[in-house]
Amino acid sequence: MRLLRQLSRRKLRTTLTILGITIGIWALVVFSSMANKINSLVAGGSEYFAGKILVTDATNFAVGAGIAPMTIEAANQIRDLDDVAAVDAQIQMLYDPEASQGFGAPDFLLGNIAGSDAGLETFVLTPVQGRLLTPEDEGSNVVVFGSDLARKKNVAIDDMVEIRGESFTVVGILEPTLTAPDTTANIPLQAAQHLMAASLPRSIQDAISPEELISQVVVYPKPGVNDAELAGQIERDVDNVQTLTGAEFDEQVGSFTGVFNAIIIGVAVISLVVGGLSVINTMAMSVAERTREIGIKRAIGGSRSRIVRELVTEAALIGFIGGVIGLVLGAIVVVLANEAGRSSGTILFDLTPATAIFAVAFSTILGMVAGVIPAWSAARLDPVAALRYE
Amino acid sequence: MEATAALLEGRNLRKTYRMSRRNQVEALRGVELKIERGEMVALMGPSGSGKSTLMHILGLLHSPDADDGPPAELRINGVEVTSMSERTRTRMRADTMGFVFQSYNLVPTLTAAENVALAGEYAGSARRQAMSAAMEALGWVGLEARAEHRPMELSGGEQQRVAIARALVNKPKLLLADEPTGNLDSGHSHEVLELLRRFNKERGETLLLVTHDAEVGAFCDRIIHMRDGLIQEEAVSS
Repeated sequence: MRLLRQLSRRKLRTTLTILGITIGIWALVVFSSMANKINSLVAGGSEYFAGKILVTDATNFAVGAGIAPMTIEAANQIRDLDDVAAVDAQIQMLYDPEASQGFGAPDFLLGNIAGSDAGLETFVLTPVQGRLLTPEDEGSNVVVFGSDLARKKNVAIDDMVEIRGESFTVVGILEPTLTAPDTTANIPLQAAQHLMAASLPRSIQDAISPEELISQVVVYPKPGVNDAELAGQIERDVDNVQTLTGAEFDEQVGSFTGVFNAIIIGVAVISLVVGGLSVINTMAMSVAERTREIGIKRAIGGSRSRIVRELVTEAALIGFIGGVIGLVLGAIVVVLANEAGRSSGTILFDLTPATAIFAVAFSTILGMVAGVIPAWSAARLDPVAALRYE
Repeated sequence: MEATAALLEGRNLRKTYRMSRRNQVEALRGVELKIERGEMVALMGPSGSGKSTLMHILGLLHSPDADDGPPAELRINGVEVTSMSERTRTRMRADTMGFVFQSYNLVPTLTAAENVALAGEYAGSARRQAMSAAMEALGWVGLEARAEHRPMELSGGEQQRVAIARALVNKPKLLLADEPTGNLDSGHSHEVLELLRRFNKERGETLLLVTHDAEVGAFCDRIIHMRDGLIQEEAVSS
């Protein structure tokens, strides 16, 4: 308490130092929250793709999503392979082909026959309202919304929604997963096939019936089968397909997120280094202007270690206060930006407890480190010379 | 510890300040002095005579030179201090000595009570205990009512009384005062000297006052005159 009172008696200097740290920690909190969001999306994707193989048309370019049309014949060929336990033929397409694409996972429609995974899917979706799709839904226009997409489209159970020009009844809304399913609407495969067919050029529509259309196949290998070997066999045995294993997903997306994280953390580190230097500068100036005070303390029996402790504690407290204020301001930005983005389904930030604790701990330690050198040189001053200092 | 010996005894105390390679100032040139327990001694002399340097050495703020000459000796309260480490000297300063300076030297951001308590804390008291001792010490100098005031809210005389309370709070064996009335008008000077005298008489404090002022010397039991880094003469005050 005495330390706080002392700081409050040096208002301007204390305020300026705290402001410097606040800005650095604010940047750290905001950028780290952005990195957290990206990382949780990627981690969710990584979890989703673990232990399975995604097969898409050879022309498909999106990582982790098959949106180029292919025929169901490919799924049938894969199903016949010895090492395959189950095959889930799916259609994935943009929920709204007209929508401009923002940051994060796009909104998708995913059509499949419920239960095709034969119980092998480990990434379990749970309805928070209503129900999941069932095989009996095939032939009807029903939809289960992911949590973010439901909020964005403002839908409730039993609502009728128009998707790509067709009416669907909302039968379920999913719990948040923090990854792709949150921005996905699930519909029966047949409904998806009709929507996809309608989106194709007339010449292709005439050449292929909707029932033959799919855009990706999720392959569940038998237990003990090597994913990479099975993926190689699929690419050899089935024409015009490409495969993506869990490990390949991690590699491709991981390299992207690695660069992204490096940029974000780099910006935060630069702002902290600048903040840290300003703390060192301010502490050094503060010590210089208190030379006489330090001389008095040494003369009346304050030991060097005691003087260092007092100054470092003060610097740590300044760091802590700056950290807490930076965290609070950062949290406000995160909450406001997420609220603003919620209506468009663009949740940019994820402020985790670990980030919050790290930010405050880091600023406190930064303050201490910044205070150590000036404190140590102050404690080594000749008390008599310090007492003469004007 | 020899309780019956002189409180302070110094021999061959020399100090040379090297300002540059060619410029050296011999501030002390082999001082010998003895101060008995309960004495109130004035150290007088013109500027540059070495009295402040001697006070810094006696106050363990500086060490005497340990050069080729006869070895310096300094015993305070029966303990030889010349070979002490910096840490032990600091500790001894906190436990055994009190300082009063010409320009008060209070910490500006602390209240009167906190300034006094600081000396208690440095001597090892817990904060609460140091605060209650500080309030008691402020009572000795008649400033309990000003305990929560910061130095800038006090007059010069009051600030010096706070400094005296700080010097006395640990009940030191030796109180060293460097021109304690130098910044005060005659009314406040007298007040401060009376206060110091009272502590000397009533509590048996040993005091060493560095001063220019003959009036201050007259308040003391004994006057040590210094000139050119040596003790010129000692006289019993009239």
